[in-house]
Amino acid sequence: MILRRIATILFVPLMVAFGSGVYLYLGTLKSKAVKERVQLPTVTKPSFTLPGTMFLAQGGRLFKLKNGSFTEIGPPGDWSMPTLTPDHTRLVAVLSGKQSSDLYLLDLDGHVIKRLTHDDARIIDANHWAFYPRVTPDGLSVMYSYDSPKVGFRVDFAVWTMPLDGTQSQARRRTDPYWYTGGDIIPIPLPGTALIYVKHSIDQTGVHSQLWYQERTGAIGHAMTALTDDCGSPALSADRTQLAMICSAGKQTAKLEVAPLNGTTLGPARVLLSGGLYASPAWSSDGKALAYFAPTGAAGHFQLWYLALPAVASSASASASTTPSAGTSPSVRASVSPAPSPPLPVQVTQGVDLSATSPPAWF
Amino acid sequence: MRLTVLTVVCLLLSGMAGAAAYFFPVVVAGVGQTGQTVVVPPSSSVGKTSPTRSAPPGAPFTVLLLGSDDDSKFNADHVLTQSMILVRVEPATRHVTMLSIPRDLWVPLSTGGSAKIDAAYSYGGAAAAIATVERNFHVHIDEYAWIGLKGLIRMIDELGGVDVIVTNPVLDDFYPDDIDVTYLYGYKRVAILPGPQHLDGSHALQYVRSRHDDIQGDFGRSQRQQQVLLALKSKAATLNAANLPDIVNALKGEFKTSMGLDRVRSLLGVASTFDLANVRQIVLLPPTYTSYGQISGQSVILPHWAQILPLVKANFP
Repeated sequence: MILRRIATILFVPLMVAFGSGVYLYLGTLKSKAVKERVQLPTVTKPSFTLPGTMFLAQGGRLFKLKNGSFTEIGPPGDWSMPTLTPDHTRLVAVLSGKQSSDLYLLDLDGHVIKRLTHDDARIIDANHWAFYPRVTPDGLSVMYSYDSPKVGFRVDFAVWTMPLDGTQSQARRRTDPYWYTGGDIIPIPLPGTALIYVKHSIDQTGVHSQLWYQERTGAIGHAMTALTDDCGSPALSADRTQLAMICSAGKQTAKLEVAPLNGTTLGPARVLLSGGLYASPAWSSDGKALAYFAPTGAAGHFQLWYLALPAVASSASASASTTPSAGTSPSVRASVSPAPSPPLPVQVTQGVDLSATSPPAWF
Repeated sequence: MRLTVLTVVCLLLSGMAGAAAYFFPVVVAGVGQTGQTVVVPPSSSVGKTSPTRSAPPGAPFTVLLLGSDDDSKFNADHVLTQSMILVRVEPATRHVTMLSIPRDLWVPLSTGGSAKIDAAYSYGGAAAAIATVERNFHVHIDEYAWIGLKGLIRMIDELGGVDVIVTNPVLDDFYPDDIDVTYLYGYKRVAILPGPQHLDGSHALQYVRSRHDDIQGDFGRSQRQQQVLLALKSKAATLNAANLPDIVNALKGEFKTSMGLDRVRSLLGVASTFDLANVRQIVLLPPTYTSYGQISGQSVILPHWAQILPLVKANFP
């Protein structure tokens, strides 16, 4: 009898503990990949020391990556899309609100020098978005994507330009987007008046993005990539001879490509990477490497990657493109040729979740 | 010896109790949200009888996916379906076909009269939506699954977000501001920027729900809905049974399906193995399959059945 009581006293907590253990153990079997914990870049140690200095964004915060460590810069807020002035002494970045976003001029430590645009308004549809700032090579103006003019439901980005030391009232529209497509984004100002940007269109075959060249304000310009290649995220090397871009050809995987810029057209492109999600490439200052964002694992959090470019083979010429362009003049970009040897990407960060739509600034 | 047996039995019982407690939300949901019986009125066109017959295990089956505004603007279960997607799953060949039905498609409803097809659910729930689709599209539907807006947000967040290549800037100055707010008729501005990215639940909803600045309107939105569905499939492939209680908790009250737990489990199995190359996506774009029209002052989509029905027959045999 006594033995039974002792056994009962021992068994009850044992059973409770075992049952709880099973409950907790089942919890540990959950797939962790889908809800991976995200860390601030500043508490991580990059596994590779990137040459130079890079500015990038995560979750509305700006970070500087230099000598293999991250430093947070900038005041609190929803910051993104840092871009450098040509002399590398200042940044222009985007501060987003709930209904609008504005451009700010910052120093390299993230201190606000000047608010460039005032896009917030009390009436909801009087608000505006400003994204993708790029300072012109002469350092005098900033080009950006701005959702104006708006009519009714139509809200499309056009490329605008304004003096860096001026006011928004001096801003002028550069491009004329196709209506109800999302419009024109990511301007890359060239010396003089020329501009490369991403133009969106929608037709029976789907939604398309093309790199577009415009000689001057008001000019129609021409497509630099084929309609069905669906290229975007252009990044121009410092010497303005190579252009990196992300092309998806309507699929849910992307290719990272590089093509020589021959004046107003692109030469044969090399596919550096394919079959993944690659975003927002940026060039090293010597033009010999690219940085880009790509997710790792099932969690889908975007990490920073580094890719040293393979040497260009002399036989990298390619056949002419057969894909028709939506432009007013034929596409002059040759069809894609394979890279001579597959480059090996190096993962720089781990455990962070960098803003994939916010191109980094690197010098 | 007796003590050993007793110990083993007690540990087994307590282990089972622990497992039962862990999967309790799944069992509750299994009873409350899955295996919903739907009585579909007989249809002369497809010869269906009530209730809906499910395909045998392993056989191809067709699911009608329904997505609704389900906020306080509507009476419970009398909501318009903003999204209707027919999905045919062929487990043996691992092929999947998705056909988006435009919400403004003007059709005869199973409950009588003609209206936009999104009204079918509001007049007669899932049964009316299924019957209306079956009669008009001459297709047999084995199962249905309904999800509310908040359910979609919570499910995507529970999966840790979805990875998509956003094709173009999705801008909307008149996006409904009706989630977790007291005033349900407001608007807000949204901007989803293009490129490969990781979308959380609320941004994924904005991406699939916005339609005002899309020249293809609801058709463009349908393409984005299919895109996110496929991204969800990729995420679902990483799940296992231990994730089910969290998913079920996230979907509480926001998800209903005629599928039993067995079918849901086999669907997850298919999701984890099929290839995106084996997915066929169909949107009934004008001018071939549909055209724009006006009926009783309403903007509607008019079906071109002569083109639609052969397409449906070929893909939903």
